[in-house]
Amino acid sequence: MTTVERKPEPARLDLSRRTYIDYIDRTREYYLAQGFNNPYQWAHYDDVPFTRVTKPLTRSRVAVITTAARYQPDKGDQGPHAPYNNGAKFHAVYTDPIDPPPDLRISHIGYDRANTVPDDIDAYFPLARLKECAAAGRIGSLPPRFYGVPTLRSQRQTIERDAPELLRLCRDDGVDVAVLTAV
Amino acid sequence: MSLVARHLEAHDIPTVVIGCARDIVEHCGVPRFVFSDFPLGNPIGRPHDTAMQRSIVGLALDVLESACAPRTTVQTPFVWDPDPSWKAAYNRLDENGRPAARGEGADGG
Repeated sequence: MTTVERKPEPARLDLSRRTYIDYIDRTREYYLAQGFNNPYQWAHYDDVPFTRVTKPLTRSRVAVITTAARYQPDKGDQGPHAPYNNGAKFHAVYTDPIDPPPDLRISHIGYDRANTVPDDIDAYFPLARLKECAAAGRIGSLPPRFYGVPTLRSQRQTIERDAPELLRLCRDDGVDVAVLTAV
Repeated sequence: MSLVARHLEAHDIPTVVIGCARDIVEHCGVPRFVFSDFPLGNPIGRPHDTAMQRSIVGLALDVLESACAPRTTVQTPFVWDPDPSWKAAYNRLDENGRPAARGEGADGG
């Protein structure tokens, strides 16, 4: 078993180190400390695609894509104080109407249950705020549905199955640009 | 999530990712990223703070329009807590190198 020497960080912000959390390093060390010696390989690319926005947002249709999960009453506690509930996790792309507003929960294992309570969907799902933007004319419109995408350990499933499906759904709905929120 | 953004972008749908795990999103590489330096699960802002949420969504739209190259990261101006000790708690190991708190991974949220 490999152990990692690591002392708790001081509450004082150490400005000699980066000030945002290094989740990749911390997760790897966390698992190494428990004897798991096969760290997850996070997706990494040298090249990043880019499509310039040419159509004004005031005339654009804006998709909302989320990793939040539909509330499933038969799948156990998914309330704000629920511990991680693997049974409520979802594994395939889904869509639901934007009206009435959906009830989405956070089923992801990485959610910071120690420091925050997910009792306000608007903190992790931007639909309500984007509806305001549409009403105010900041964006052209929203499609009639939003899109849910699972967070999977298999990057291949995401790349080969889910991402193409999202693209097809967005094209079907006449989407111009997309706002993606991870939870 | 970053992988989906990359795929849409490569097929002519511009994207912006809003998230709390800067290292994970930037390690992957996305076209546009709005970084909320908040505990995972609050990318759009503090719970029940509608004004902050409005500001962050507005920022995402601004970044969508104004970014001129990929890997554009913009950090929101908001601070979760002047006391940054919450950052020490995530997947923390104690002085013996043992897990002290729960929470085992992250997607970027």
